[in-house]
Amino acid sequence: MIVANNLSKTFVGVPGERKRRVVAVESVSFNAEDGQITGLLGPNGAGKSTTLRMLATLVRPDSGNAIIDGHSVTENVLQVRQHLGFMPHNAGIYPRLTTRENISYYAQLCGLNKKTTSNRVDELVDLLEMENFADRRTAGFSQGQKTKVALARALVHRPQTVLLDEPTNGLDVMATRGLRQIIRQLAQAGHCIVFSSHIMQEVAALCDEIAIISGGKIAMTGTLDTLLTTTGQSSLEDAFVSAIGGEL
Amino acid sequence: MNVLVILWKEIVDNLRDRQTVFYALLFGPVLLPLLIGGGLVASLKQATVSFDQPSALAVKNADQAPNLTQFLYSNNFDIEAAPIDVEESVRRGDVALVLEIPEDFSTAMREGQPAPLVIYVNDGDKHSAKEARKVNSVVNAYSQTINALRMQHRGIDPSVFNSINVRLEDVSSDGFRGQILASILPFLLIVAMVMGGFYLAIDTTAGERERLSLEPLLSLPIARYKLVLGKFMAVLFFVGISSILTAISLYLVFRYLSPEAAGGILSFDAPTIINAWLLSSPLIFFISAVLMTVAATTRSTKEAQTYLGLLMVFPMAPFFILQFVNIKSANLTMTLPMLSQYQLLERIVLKDSISTTHVALSVAGTLLSAALLYFLAVRLYSREKVL
Repeated sequence: MIVANNLSKTFVGVPGERKRRVVAVESVSFNAEDGQITGLLGPNGAGKSTTLRMLATLVRPDSGNAIIDGHSVTENVLQVRQHLGFMPHNAGIYPRLTTRENISYYAQLCGLNKKTTSNRVDELVDLLEMENFADRRTAGFSQGQKTKVALARALVHRPQTVLLDEPTNGLDVMATRGLRQIIRQLAQAGHCIVFSSHIMQEVAALCDEIAIISGGKIAMTGTLDTLLTTTGQSSLEDAFVSAIGGEL
Repeated sequence: MNVLVILWKEIVDNLRDRQTVFYALLFGPVLLPLLIGGGLVASLKQATVSFDQPSALAVKNADQAPNLTQFLYSNNFDIEAAPIDVEESVRRGDVALVLEIPEDFSTAMREGQPAPLVIYVNDGDKHSAKEARKVNSVVNAYSQTINALRMQHRGIDPSVFNSINVRLEDVSSDGFRGQILASILPFLLIVAMVMGGFYLAIDTTAGERERLSLEPLLSLPIARYKLVLGKFMAVLFFVGISSILTAISLYLVFRYLSPEAAGGILSFDAPTIINAWLLSSPLIFFISAVLMTVAATTRSTKEAQTYLGLLMVFPMAPFFILQFVNIKSANLTMTLPMLSQYQLLERIVLKDSISTTHVALSVAGTLLSAALLYFLAVRLYSREKVL
């Protein structure tokens, strides 16, 4: 469960302009419940990744706070990480290690012993249907295979809360459907899932709760139905444009 | 525990990388000692004239000058008959050189005139030139003897013609050549250490960032200092292995290529090499820390390679500085990493005495610098910018 309260982050210095200040996220508040899939929907550069990075304790908020499963991201960094599985928007797996080695590495870093690690890796290989490439080095993997390995890695220590930053990027239709199914399973098992995307259909198809983020701010939150009713639109796309104040 | 997991993963991961393995285990430890050390020893061997080793000398008309041939023989020349076509055989390298005793040699000798001698030499051939110098100096010695005899014969003291007698005494252990040969040991050890950790340091820091695997890694429940420690130990492991392998191959190179260098004025025997390795071992920590820290500041492997490539100049700097500038082994310079090891290792190879204070300062200065750099690396990893 995540309670994000007034998270703000400003970066100083962008490539080419060292002194320019860029407000990435401004007063972002939202809740994400256990057993639900919460979608963070916004265009590129809206602040989705920065928000997730603050939740994952990789970036410290300038102001505001977030409580993840009872732990503050600014104070109990290690406990937050213990409860959190984070998958960044690029798989970022080790090409010279096999699927199993990639997952085991993270398992052991999270403190699992050898036997538990091996059982857990088998479980994940089974869950994500990775039998065919479990013992191959990941160098030549397809994007779908890479995403599976990265997801398995994020889930290896059975985190209660799972953050997925644009996980369907670069996946084909079948891989996307497969991933959606897995995400639904995780939510049904009681996990709190936060899922960021800029693809309307995907968020509409998957998420119980949607937070529309634009220009570093939360423009609107609610279920799909609430968003449609509030904006008086018939599709999420129109509701989204209306919510961020654009012309229909 | 976590630290060992990281160490093990980085070792396995990088042993699967051909580039790392080539530079860490082959280039620095085997190829460089063979190319540079072996090349240097071989060229020194060629340039050094050995009067103790008997060598063959082709003499034309040897029967014309029995005394001279006798003198040459007693100076370690085995006299052989000259080939028929003298000039062509020397040019082709069939014989190193030919000493020709012309027909009028004995007549001139008998009459107390300057007696002619001809040495056919191929100056383009190092071996021939070297033999010529050797023959020349023996013939000169013979000539001096005859001069003295002729003067005494006429009632003159030969020493009248020697108004000045210059004596050159080289007090260094083996002069300039020895100096170069001695500094080759620290040079190769240090370069091998740098090469050994080079790619690993880049791969575990900038490489990890470039592969985008750093972000998920940093989101794991593990303290940053442990993460850096694990990576540091992996670099340490490769740098250490590299330096041990280099010490072994240097020992073999000097042992098999040059028995004189190994046992002569310079000492390259096993205890020397072991002591040299021990004295340089604090550098394993220092160089690993430098590589880690510099690579951690860079954003991509390309940038890291550029910076670390420039950094490669540093291990070479003391080598060249010490060739031109004579730095006294003062306490202050002994605290400097690399420079102090250069000086200490040179002294070991030249069998000069080493003060315990200097060793202590060198070890302390180097380890302290390594620790500072390590903490800097931890700090760099604690920044948000590291992503």
